Amino acid sequence: MSAPILELRALSKSFGPVHAVKTVSLAAHAGEVIGLIGDNGAGKSTLTRMIAGAIRPDQGDIIVNGQKEHFETAQDARRAGIETVFQTLALVPGLDIVENIFLGRELLVPGATGRATRTMDVAAMRRRVEEGYQRFGLNLPDMRTKVAALSGGQRQVVAIARAVLWGSGVVVLDEPTAALGVKQTELVLSFIERLRSHKVAVIFISHNMQHVMRVADRVCVLRLGRKVHDGPMSKLSGTDLVALMTGATIAAQ
Amino acid sequence: MTRQQILGWTQRNGLFFALAILIAIFSILSSRFLTVPNFTVILLQNAVIGLIVVPGAMLILCGLVDLSVGSVAVLSAVVFGQAMASGLGLPVSLLIGLAVGAAWGAFNGYLIAIQGFSPIIITLGGLAGARGLAEFVTQGYTTYGYGREFAFLGNGKLLGVPVPVILFAIVFLIGLHLWYRAPLGRHMIAVGGAKDTAAEIGIKVKLIPFWLYVASGLAAALGGLIIASQLDGAAVTIGTGMELEVLTAILLGGVSFTGGRGSLFGVLFGLLFVGVLSNGLVQVNVSPYFEQVAIGAALCGAAALDMFYQRLERLNVPVESEPIEAPQAGEAQ
Repeated sequence: MSAPILELRALSKSFGPVHAVKTVSLAAHAGEVIGLIGDNGAGKSTLTRMIAGAIRPDQGDIIVNGQKEHFETAQDARRAGIETVFQTLALVPGLDIVENIFLGRELLVPGATGRATRTMDVAAMRRRVEEGYQRFGLNLPDMRTKVAALSGGQRQVVAIARAVLWGSGVVVLDEPTAALGVKQTELVLSFIERLRSHKVAVIFISHNMQHVMRVADRVCVLRLGRKVHDGPMSKLSGTDLVALMTGATIAAQ
Repeated sequence: MTRQQILGWTQRNGLFFALAILIAIFSILSSRFLTVPNFTVILLQNAVIGLIVVPGAMLILCGLVDLSVGSVAVLSAVVFGQAMASGLGLPVSLLIGLAVGAAWGAFNGYLIAIQGFSPIIITLGGLAGARGLAEFVTQGYTTYGYGREFAFLGNGKLLGVPVPVILFAIVFLIGLHLWYRAPLGRHMIAVGGAKDTAAEIGIKVKLIPFWLYVASGLAAALGGLIIASQLDGAAVTIGTGMELEVLTAILLGGVSFTGGRGSLFGVLFGLLFVGVLSNGLVQVNVSPYFEQVAIGAALCGAAALDMFYQRLERLNVPVESEPIEAPQAGEAQ
């Protein structure tokens, strides 16, 4: 297998006396969907926030494309090619889909005049989003629809699409299907499945077993801050996963 | 056209039609109304407010407000007057007058945008404080007589167009560019509509409002100087009630007072609506006392209509829009 895009080496993080994450290692390759599961308090969100640059690990290294990275801010992580989509989605309801995708990174008209007058290249931005719609077969309404008019699932897809369109090698999804209805969930899951063929590594965090089993190639189980399992999805059943999450088969490991 | 498109269209263009109807009514009632000289007068009467409305609308779009504009206008005008009286000369005095406005704007911006103080409280403080300072500076005496060169600012014409109207047009065009063609427009909507998200994405949620306050102070100073030029005197009455006229045009123009929604074209129509209404009522000999009542009624009417549109919009949000998701459901295994 090729070198991993993202590699975590023995990451640890404590909050006072609480060891939230203890020496967790993980490697993510392009075209791979990794399901990261665990019960409440297993360390999923602490791990996610370390990858996203929101908090710094006490120990261990984050390696992106063979390069050791020290994220001070979320922007650093983004610059290194890791986009994290949190449940808050970071979308502005009053702006449309294109405006949201390019928010804070608007394209300007090329040339000195465009830069000096800060004139946006609206056509180029629309073209890029249009291409994205085609490439990923996005099932979204017209790209000039305001995000306020989109459903929860559609918003999730927009947030993920923004991460992917910005050319990130790694997309971390924090509970993307939480609080979504059946159809909305389907919209999001089928989009994640399609990402696999686009050389993106997806880390899918969830505690919904069905959703993880549906999209993940590999599953990684956290329990009480430690990684207790890491292996191909195909060999596991839902019962196995629950057992791993709750610790029932730790002895059998 | 679907019902929703019609709804959106009338909402976007409603004020334009209200303005057209108003102009039509006054044209029928008064033969002098629909003439080039009268419209020049309407533009001239509203040019100063118009200048201040542009940064003011941007602040409201960011969810902020500047109530100190009228008082900053008078403070700038009297400081200019004092500078002239002490013989500093016109260019230096003009710069000092504008600098007073920019400095007060920076003060507002620092406290509100950087330190997070309440915009209403700080600029209400400025409303009282800057005017008080202006009265203290003048000790009640009005300086006057600044010469022909300065008179050009308020009374001059270029190619038949009054200078204040030209200045307003320049400011408005810059405003249009920033609002619609530069990233700033989107960033302001993000700051006003979803500040935390905007900050997370890396938008300058503090610096944008800071510079808007500076721009607002600068525009207020320019407005004060124009009025001083028209009066040929820095009277302490300059700018009284200006903040309310500015707010009326902006809110009538459909910018949401809570931020995150609004159009600068709407604001232009709001400004012209008030201008046409005031002028027209005088033309048809309605008591000037009634003018304020009419503007108040128009503002309340616009607010009610906005609420009505928002309710209709909420009913129409396509939560489960079938044409988009029906094929999805079919694809599922």
